[in-house]
Amino acid sequence: MDQPPFRWANGVVIVDLGVNEQKILDLLLSLYLQVLKADEDPAVWRLHPPAHPNDSTAEAVYRAMVDDDLSAQRLEAIQTVRAGIAGRELDDDDVSAWIRTLNGLRLVLGVRLEVDVHGHDHLVDLPLEDSRSSPAAVYDWLGFMLEELVGSASQGFANS
Amino acid sequence: MAPAIVRPDLDERSEVRTHGPWKVIVWDDPINLMSFVTYVFRRLFGYSKAKAHRLMMQVHTEGRAVVSSGPLEKAELDVVRLHEHGLWATLEQD
Repeated sequence: MDQPPFRWANGVVIVDLGVNEQKILDLLLSLYLQVLKADEDPAVWRLHPPAHPNDSTAEAVYRAMVDDDLSAQRLEAIQTVRAGIAGRELDDDDVSAWIRTLNGLRLVLGVRLEVDVHGHDHLVDLPLEDSRSSPAAVYDWLGFMLEELVGSASQGFANS
Repeated sequence: MAPAIVRPDLDERSEVRTHGPWKVIVWDDPINLMSFVTYVFRRLFGYSKAKAHRLMMQVHTEGRAVVSSGPLEKAELDVVRLHEHGLWATLEQD
Protein backbone atom coordinates (compact mmCIF):
# COMPACT_ATOMS: atom_id res chain seq x y z
CA MET A 1 0.00 0.00 0.00
CA ASP A 2 1.30 3.43 -0.89
CA GLN A 3 1.29 6.34 1.51
CA PRO A 4 -2.15 7.67 2.45
CA PRO A 5 -3.26 10.42 0.04
CA PHE A 6 -4.23 12.74 2.92
CA ARG A 7 -3.12 13.05 6.51
CA TRP A 8 -3.95 15.33 9.38
CA ALA A 9 -1.07 17.17 11.06
CA ASN A 10 -1.06 20.23 13.30
CA GLY A 11 -4.38 21.66 12.19
CA VAL A 12 -4.04 21.14 8.45
CA VAL A 13 -4.64 18.31 6.00
CA ILE A 14 -1.55 17.42 3.98
CA VAL A 15 -2.07 16.27 0.39
CA ASP A 16 0.43 13.61 -0.61
CA LEU A 17 -0.61 11.96 -3.89
CA GLY A 18 1.45 9.53 -5.90
CA VAL A 19 2.43 10.52 -9.43
CA ASN A 20 -0.27 8.37 -11.03
CA GLU A 21 -2.92 9.65 -8.64
CA GLN A 22 -1.94 13.21 -9.54
CA LYS A 23 -2.30 12.46 -13.26
CA ILE A 24 -5.67 10.77 -12.84
CA LEU A 25 -7.06 13.57 -10.70
CA ASP A 26 -5.83 16.24 -13.10
CA LEU A 27 -7.53 14.45 -15.99
CA LEU A 28 -10.74 14.03 -14.01
CA LEU A 29 -10.83 17.74 -13.18
CA SER A 30 -10.65 18.56 -16.89
CA LEU A 31 -13.53 16.20 -17.61
CA TYR A 32 -15.49 17.64 -14.69
CA LEU A 33 -15.09 21.16 -16.10
CA GLN A 34 -16.40 19.97 -19.47
CA VAL A 35 -19.44 18.39 -17.84
CA LEU A 36 -20.20 21.52 -15.81
CA LYS A 37 -20.25 23.58 -18.99
CA ALA A 38 -22.82 21.27 -20.63
CA ASP A 39 -26.25 22.44 -19.47
CA GLU A 40 -28.13 19.44 -20.79
CA ASP A 41 -26.11 16.81 -18.98
CA PRO A 42 -28.27 14.93 -16.45
CA ALA A 43 -25.30 14.85 -14.09
CA VAL A 44 -25.49 18.65 -13.92
CA TRP A 45 -29.10 18.35 -12.82
CA ARG A 46 -27.94 16.08 -10.01
CA LEU A 47 -25.62 18.86 -8.84
CA HIS A 48 -28.54 21.32 -8.80
CA PRO A 49 -31.43 19.39 -7.26
CA PRO A 50 -34.71 21.23 -6.65
CA ALA A 51 -35.20 22.87 -3.26
CA HIS A 52 -38.97 23.25 -3.73
CA PRO A 53 -39.96 20.17 -5.77
CA ASN A 54 -43.71 20.80 -5.37
CA ASP A 55 -43.79 24.56 -5.88
CA SER A 56 -42.61 25.69 -9.29
CA THR A 57 -42.85 29.40 -8.43
CA ALA A 58 -40.75 29.12 -5.28
CA GLU A 59 -38.34 26.83 -7.15
CA ALA A 60 -37.86 29.42 -9.92
CA VAL A 61 -37.05 32.06 -7.31
CA TYR A 62 -34.60 29.72 -5.58
CA ARG A 63 -32.91 28.77 -8.86
CA ALA A 64 -32.52 32.41 -9.91
CA MET A 65 -31.02 33.16 -6.51
CA VAL A 66 -28.48 30.33 -6.23
CA ASP A 67 -27.62 28.73 -9.60
CA ASP A 68 -24.89 31.19 -10.62
CA ASP A 69 -23.33 31.07 -7.15
CA LEU A 70 -23.37 27.28 -7.05
CA SER A 71 -21.66 27.10 -10.43
CA ALA A 72 -19.10 29.78 -9.57
CA GLN A 73 -18.23 28.09 -6.28
CA ARG A 74 -17.82 24.76 -8.03
CA LEU A 75 -15.37 26.26 -10.54
CA GLU A 76 -13.44 28.02 -7.78
CA ALA A 77 -13.21 24.79 -5.78
CA ILE A 78 -11.86 22.96 -8.84
CA GLN A 79 -9.09 25.59 -9.17
CA THR A 80 -8.22 25.12 -5.49
CA VAL A 81 -7.89 21.36 -5.99
CA ARG A 82 -5.85 21.79 -9.16
CA ALA A 83 -3.44 24.10 -7.33
CA GLY A 84 -2.86 21.46 -4.64
CA ILE A 85 -2.56 18.26 -6.66
CA ALA A 86 1.24 18.19 -6.51
CA GLY A 87 1.19 18.46 -2.72
CA ARG A 88 -0.06 21.13 -0.33
CA GLU A 89 -1.16 21.89 3.21
CA LEU A 90 -4.92 22.44 3.11
CA ASP A 91 -6.52 24.96 5.45
CA ASP A 92 -10.19 24.71 6.35
CA ASP A 93 -11.44 26.43 3.18
CA ASP A 94 -9.15 24.30 1.01
CA VAL A 95 -10.43 21.13 2.68
CA SER A 96 -13.99 22.22 1.91
CA ALA A 97 -13.06 22.80 -1.75
CA TRP A 98 -11.40 19.38 -2.02
CA ILE A 99 -14.28 17.57 -0.38
CA ARG A 100 -16.92 19.28 -2.54
CA THR A 101 -14.92 18.64 -5.69
CA LEU A 102 -14.14 14.96 -5.06
CA ASN A 103 -17.77 14.35 -4.15
CA GLY A 104 -19.08 16.35 -7.13
CA LEU A 105 -16.90 14.29 -9.46
CA ARG A 106 -18.14 11.12 -7.83
CA LEU A 107 -21.76 12.24 -8.25
CA VAL A 108 -21.25 12.97 -11.94
CA LEU A 109 -19.63 9.60 -12.50
CA GLY A 110 -22.28 7.87 -10.41
CA VAL A 111 -25.07 9.36 -12.52
CA ARG A 112 -23.24 8.30 -15.70
CA LEU A 113 -22.90 4.77 -14.34
CA GLU A 114 -26.57 4.79 -13.32
CA VAL A 115 -25.79 4.21 -9.66
CA ASP A 116 -28.77 6.52 -9.12
CA VAL A 117 -31.05 3.92 -10.69
CA HIS A 118 -29.51 0.55 -9.91
CA GLY A 119 -27.35 1.02 -6.84
CA HIS A 120 -23.75 -0.10 -6.95
CA ASP A 121 -23.99 -3.89 -7.26
CA HIS A 122 -24.12 -3.97 -11.07
CA LEU A 123 -20.64 -2.39 -11.18
CA VAL A 124 -18.81 -4.93 -9.05
CA ASP A 125 -16.33 -7.25 -10.82
CA LEU A 126 -17.15 -6.08 -14.34
CA PRO A 127 -15.15 -7.86 -17.07
CA LEU A 128 -12.43 -5.67 -18.58
CA GLU A 129 -14.14 -5.59 -21.97
CA ASP A 130 -17.20 -3.95 -20.42
CA SER A 131 -17.10 -0.24 -21.29
CA ARG A 132 -18.10 0.59 -17.72
CA SER A 133 -15.15 -1.17 -16.09
CA SER A 134 -12.78 1.83 -16.25
CA PRO A 135 -15.27 4.45 -15.04
CA ALA A 136 -16.40 2.01 -12.33
CA ALA A 137 -12.81 1.68 -11.15
CA VAL A 138 -12.45 5.47 -11.09
CA TYR A 139 -15.73 5.73 -9.19
CA ASP A 140 -14.40 3.33 -6.55
CA TRP A 141 -11.11 5.22 -6.39
CA LEU A 142 -12.92 8.53 -5.84
CA GLY A 143 -14.86 6.87 -3.02
CA PHE A 144 -11.57 5.76 -1.46
CA MET A 145 -10.07 9.25 -1.81
CA LEU A 146 -13.15 10.87 -0.31
CA GLU A 147 -13.21 8.45 2.64
CA GLU A 148 -9.54 9.18 3.29
CA LEU A 149 -10.04 12.94 3.12
CA VAL A 150 -13.16 12.87 5.32
CA GLY A 151 -11.26 10.73 7.84
CA SER A 152 -8.33 13.16 7.97
CA ALA A 153 -10.49 16.28 8.00
CA SER A 154 -12.75 14.91 10.77
CA GLN A 155 -9.79 15.09 13.14
CA GLY A 156 -10.23 18.85 12.99
CA PHE A 157 -13.65 18.82 14.67
CA ALA A 158 -13.59 20.20 18.21
CA ASN A 159 -16.64 18.21 19.34
CA SER A 160 -15.90 14.58 18.71
CA MET B 1 -35.78 -2.12 7.56
CA ALA B 2 -36.99 -1.05 10.97
CA PRO B 3 -36.33 2.58 11.79
CA ALA B 4 -33.55 3.25 14.26
CA ILE B 5 -34.68 4.15 17.76
CA VAL B 6 -34.32 7.89 18.06
CA ARG B 7 -33.77 9.44 21.44
CA PRO B 8 -35.83 12.63 21.83
CA ASP B 9 -33.50 15.57 21.55
CA LEU B 10 -34.54 18.56 23.63
CA ASP B 11 -32.38 21.01 21.64
CA GLU B 12 -34.00 19.96 18.40
CA ARG B 13 -37.54 20.29 19.66
CA SER B 14 -37.07 23.74 21.16
CA GLU B 15 -35.32 24.84 17.97
CA VAL B 16 -38.35 23.85 15.89
CA ARG B 17 -40.70 25.69 18.27
CA THR B 18 -38.81 28.95 18.40
CA HIS B 19 -37.60 29.40 14.84
CA GLY B 20 -40.51 29.30 12.46
CA PRO B 21 -42.07 26.95 10.05
CA TRP B 22 -39.58 25.65 7.44
CA LYS B 23 -37.90 22.26 7.63
CA VAL B 24 -34.78 21.25 5.71
CA ILE B 25 -35.09 17.65 4.53
CA VAL B 26 -32.19 15.52 3.33
CA TRP B 27 -33.17 12.55 1.14
CA ASP B 28 -31.44 9.22 0.77
CA ASP B 29 -29.46 8.67 -2.41
CA PRO B 30 -27.32 5.72 -3.45
CA ILE B 31 -24.18 7.69 -4.33
CA ASN B 32 -23.20 9.85 -1.37
CA LEU B 33 -21.05 7.99 1.16
CA MET B 34 -22.31 7.59 4.73
CA SER B 35 -19.07 8.98 6.18
CA PHE B 36 -19.29 11.96 3.85
CA VAL B 37 -22.91 12.73 4.78
CA THR B 38 -22.04 12.56 8.50
CA TYR B 39 -19.08 14.87 7.90
CA VAL B 40 -21.25 17.42 6.07
CA PHE B 41 -23.81 17.51 8.92
CA ARG B 42 -21.00 18.14 11.41
CA ARG B 43 -19.30 20.74 9.27
CA LEU B 44 -22.37 22.74 8.25
CA PHE B 45 -24.41 22.55 11.42
CA GLY B 46 -21.78 21.97 14.10
CA TYR B 47 -23.56 18.82 15.26
CA SER B 48 -21.76 16.33 17.48
CA LYS B 49 -20.48 13.14 15.87
CA ALA B 50 -23.30 11.20 17.56
CA LYS B 51 -26.07 13.53 16.38
CA ALA B 52 -24.68 13.77 12.84
CA HIS B 53 -24.39 9.98 12.67
CA ARG B 54 -27.93 9.52 13.97
CA LEU B 55 -29.33 11.89 11.32
CA MET B 56 -27.31 10.18 8.58
CA MET B 57 -28.65 6.78 9.68
CA GLN B 58 -32.19 8.18 9.69
CA VAL B 59 -31.71 9.34 6.08
CA HIS B 60 -30.31 5.93 5.18
CA THR B 61 -32.97 3.77 6.87
CA GLU B 62 -36.08 5.95 6.61
CA GLY B 63 -35.28 7.66 3.31
CA ARG B 64 -35.27 11.18 4.72
CA ALA B 65 -34.53 13.23 7.82
CA VAL B 66 -35.16 16.78 9.02
CA VAL B 67 -31.66 18.17 9.54
CA SER B 68 -32.48 21.77 10.43
CA SER B 69 -35.37 24.20 10.56
CA GLY B 70 -36.13 27.89 10.79
CA PRO B 71 -37.43 30.90 8.87
CA LEU B 72 -37.41 30.54 5.08
CA GLU B 73 -34.26 32.64 4.57
CA LYS B 74 -32.25 30.55 7.03
CA ALA B 75 -33.67 27.25 5.75
CA GLU B 76 -32.90 28.18 2.13
CA LEU B 77 -29.35 29.07 3.08
CA ASP B 78 -28.97 25.65 4.70
CA VAL B 79 -30.30 24.03 1.51
CA VAL B 80 -27.82 25.98 -0.63
CA ARG B 81 -24.95 24.81 1.56
CA LEU B 82 -26.18 21.21 1.37
CA HIS B 83 -26.53 21.51 -2.43
CA GLU B 84 -22.97 22.86 -2.60
CA HIS B 85 -21.94 19.60 -1.00
CA GLY B 86 -23.99 17.47 -3.37
CA LEU B 87 -26.60 16.37 -0.85
CA TRP B 88 -30.20 15.97 -1.95
CA ALA B 89 -31.95 18.60 0.20
CA THR B 90 -35.42 20.12 -0.09
CA LEU B 91 -37.58 22.52 1.89
CA GLU B 92 -40.91 21.76 3.48
CA GLN B 93 -43.28 24.02 5.33
CA ASP B 94 -44.29 22.75 8.76
